[in-house]
Amino acid sequence: MLKRLLVIFLLTALVGIFSLTALASPEGQTLIFGATGELRTLDPHVSVDNNAWRAIYYCYDRLVEYELGTTELAPGLAESWKVSPGGLTYTFYLRKGIKFIDGTPFNAEAVKFNFDRLLGMALAPSGTFGFIDRVDVVDGYTVNFILKEPFAPGVSAFATDQGNIVGPGVMDHEVNGDWGQDWLTEHSAGTGPFYVEEWTHGVRVVLARNDDYWGEPAKLEKVVIKYVPEAADLRMLLETGEVDIGEKLIVDQIEAMKGTPGVTVFEAPSFCCHYVYMNCQKPYLNDVRVRQAISYAVNYDGIINDLWRGTATQMRGPVPMGLVGHDDTVFQYQQDLEKAKGLLAEAGYPGGGFTLKIMHAPVIPEWRPMALVIQEGLAQIGIKVEIESYAWATLRDKLDKGDFDMSHGYWTPDYADADMFTWFWFNSENWGLAGNRSWYKNAVMDELVTRSRTEVDPDKRLGLFRGIQWIGTSDAVYLYLLQINYQIVMRDWVKGYVYNPMLLNMPNFPDMYIEK
Amino acid sequence: MHLSIRESDTKRRSSRDSEWRRGLRSLQRSPLAVLGLVIIGFLVVLAIFAPSLAPYSPTKMSLSERLSPPSSTHIFGTDDVGRDILSRVIYGSRISLRICTLVVGLTIGIGTILGIISGYWGGWIDELIMRISDVFLAFPALILAMAIAAALGPSLENVIIAMVVIWWPRYARVTRGQVLVLREIDYIVAARAVGVHESRIIMRHILPNCVSPVLIQATLDLGEVLLTAATLSFIGFGAQPPTPEWGAMISLGRNYLRDNWWYATFPGLAILVTVIGFNLLGDAARDILDPRLRHGAR
Repeated sequence: MLKRLLVIFLLTALVGIFSLTALASPEGQTLIFGATGELRTLDPHVSVDNNAWRAIYYCYDRLVEYELGTTELAPGLAESWKVSPGGLTYTFYLRKGIKFIDGTPFNAEAVKFNFDRLLGMALAPSGTFGFIDRVDVVDGYTVNFILKEPFAPGVSAFATDQGNIVGPGVMDHEVNGDWGQDWLTEHSAGTGPFYVEEWTHGVRVVLARNDDYWGEPAKLEKVVIKYVPEAADLRMLLETGEVDIGEKLIVDQIEAMKGTPGVTVFEAPSFCCHYVYMNCQKPYLNDVRVRQAISYAVNYDGIINDLWRGTATQMRGPVPMGLVGHDDTVFQYQQDLEKAKGLLAEAGYPGGGFTLKIMHAPVIPEWRPMALVIQEGLAQIGIKVEIESYAWATLRDKLDKGDFDMSHGYWTPDYADADMFTWFWFNSENWGLAGNRSWYKNAVMDELVTRSRTEVDPDKRLGLFRGIQWIGTSDAVYLYLLQINYQIVMRDWVKGYVYNPMLLNMPNFPDMYIEK
Repeated sequence: MHLSIRESDTKRRSSRDSEWRRGLRSLQRSPLAVLGLVIIGFLVVLAIFAPSLAPYSPTKMSLSERLSPPSSTHIFGTDDVGRDILSRVIYGSRISLRICTLVVGLTIGIGTILGIISGYWGGWIDELIMRISDVFLAFPALILAMAIAAALGPSLENVIIAMVVIWWPRYARVTRGQVLVLREIDYIVAARAVGVHESRIIMRHILPNCVSPVLIQATLDLGEVLLTAATLSFIGFGAQPPTPEWGAMISLGRNYLRDNWWYATFPGLAILVTVIGFNLLGDAARDILDPRLRHGAR
C-alpha cells in the first residue's frame, strides 16, 4: 500500500515538474500576470469587463490603435482613414496581406462581418457603436461606415476593446445562430500578436504568441494570466517572484511593498473615478438640496489622504482632470457641515431624521471604508446611512433596475473624450447600467449632452461640456469622490511596460519582456 | 434503557435537588468544565457591561490613527478606518451572544414543539415533519444557510433566520426520539388510560423529560452556532458595517495580516476562546445531565 502511494506521489510530482517546464520553455519567455479578478468570457462582443479585456485585447487588432502610452490615435488594421465633411461617413483604407489566427484573410468583408456580429448580437459592447447606421464594403480593402448622425468623439471609438476585429472564421463554430458565441467564449479569433491557447476556469488563461503576426511580433512567447483571488496571496507571490506582475492590491499593501527589494511599483494618474450614485427617483434624494447637503457632508480629505494615502485626487465636477473638456473652474464640494445642515433644513428636513441605504461590493475593497466615512459624515447632519454589501452581479442588477438609494461605483473611459462622462452619466436615455446610474432626468441636460455628441465644432463642444459640468455639479447628481492614481506592482525584471491611461488593466504585453 | 422518570412531585423535587448537587460535584471534579464556565461567564459580563468596559465607541473612526499597532492608547490596535479593536471585540461579544441565544433559543422552541407533535401523535403528521426535516438535514448546513441568507439579503437578522431554518431539525429529531420512548412508558400509558388530558400529559410528563437531551444538544451546539455565524459574516452575509462582528472583522483584516497582524488576530482569538468555552461547557453539561454517561456506558 505504502509503495503504491509512493509511486502515485512520484508520478504526480513528475507530471507537475513536466507541466512546469513545459510552460517555462527555454527558447521563449513567459510572463506570469497575477489577477485578483476572474473573467467570464473571452468574446469581445460580449464582455465589458476590464479583467476580460486584459486577456482579450492583444489577441485582436483594431482599425485604429492608441499610440503606445498616449491617447493619440495611430494606424492599426486601417492604414489610413478619412471623415467626410459632414461627419456622416468614415472611410477606412485597410492593410493588405493580413490573416486571422485561423488563416482566413483580413479584408473589407471581414470588417463588415465583425460589425454585423457586434451590432447583430446587440450586447453591452455594441453600445459604443450605437451611432453606426450601416457598414458598406467599397472594394476589397476599403470600407465605409455610414453614421446615423455626426458622432463628435469620432474615430477613437474604433480603438477601444469594443472595436476589436473578430474574424469571420468564428462562423465555422456557430451553433443555433449564436454567431459562434459559445465557441468564442473560450477562444480567440483575431489578427493580434497573441491568441488564447488555454483557459482553465478559475486557474489561468494562457496567451501564446502569434508567430505569423503581421506587425512586430511580441517578445514574450507566452503570457499566463493567473487567477489569484486573494490580494494577500498575490502580494506574497509578487514578493517571492512567482508572479512577475499583477493587480489589484489594496493601497495599503502597495504602500507596504514600496520598500521591497526587487519590486517596482508603477504609479501614474488615471481617468478612473470612484463616485457615488444618488438615485434621483427615490424619496429624499429626489430633492437637489438633499443631494447637495450630502455632497457637503463627506470628509473628502480623510478619504483621499488617509484611506487612499494620497494616491488619489478629489474630483472636480464629473469630467476627470486631464481629459479634454474638463473645466478647471467648476465648483468642488468640500466638507461643510453647517452648510449641509442648512440645506437639509431648507429641504424640509431640519436635523435630518431619515435613513438612506448605500450599496457596495466587497470585490472592490476600497468601497467599504469609503462607505464608512460617508456614513460618519452623514450621521453628523442627522442622516442615518445603512451600508449594504452585495455580490457584484446583484449590485449591477439593482443598479440596472434602480432598486437602491445610493451606491458606490467607478467608471473608466473607453475613448479619450469627455463624452464618456457627459453623455453616459446624464442622458436620461441611459438610466441604469448604461451609465446614468443616478437615474437623473433633466430636460436641459438631455438637450446639452445630445448636442455635445453631434456638435463637430470643437470650441462649441467645449462650451457645451462646460455647461454640463456646471449643472452636473450644482445639481449634485453624483457624489464626486475621487480620481485614482493607477498603481501596478511588478518585479524589476519586467521590462518594456508602458502605461496607457486608455488601456487601464491592459498592460502592453507585446512590448514587454523579461530580463533576469 | 435508563431514563430519569419520576412519578410523584415530591420525589421529583428531591431527586432534582440531588441532581443539582450531583452536577455541582461533577463540576468540581472537572476543572475544564469550570474553565468553560469562567470563559462564558466572562463573556456574559463583557457583553452586559460593554459600554463601561470598552475604552472607545466601537464605531468611532479616527482616520489619522488607522492601522496603529497595539499600544497603551489602543491595546489591541486599530483597524483600517482607525477604530479601536479592543472596543470592537468587547462589543462583538454582545452580537455573538445575541446570535447564539437567539438561534439556539428559537431552534429549541421550534424543534421541541415539532418534535413532540411528531413523536406523540405519530402518523401522517410525524411523516410530514420528519420528511421536511430530512430535506433540511440532507443539505450541507453552511451551503443552505448561505443560500437562504443570500435570498433574504445581507443582515444579521437574516443570518439568524437562516440559521434557525437549518438548525431546528436537530432538536425536532432529539425530542421526537425521546417522546417515542416516553409515550410507551407505563405511567404515561396509565395516565392516558385514566383520562388525563393530553395537554397535561405533555406539559407535566413528557416535556420535563425532554429537557436534558435538548439542553445537552443546545450547549454542544452553541459553539458551532457562533462559528457558523462568524463564517457567514466572513463571507459577507451577516453583520453589515459598522457592526463589530468578529467574523466580519477577520474577513476584513485578512488583507492586512502581513503588515497589521492585530487586525484579524484579536477577533480571531475572541472566537477561538469563546468556542472553546462553549464546547467545554457543552461537554460538562452532557456529563452532568446525560444519565447514560453518568451511570457508565451501556
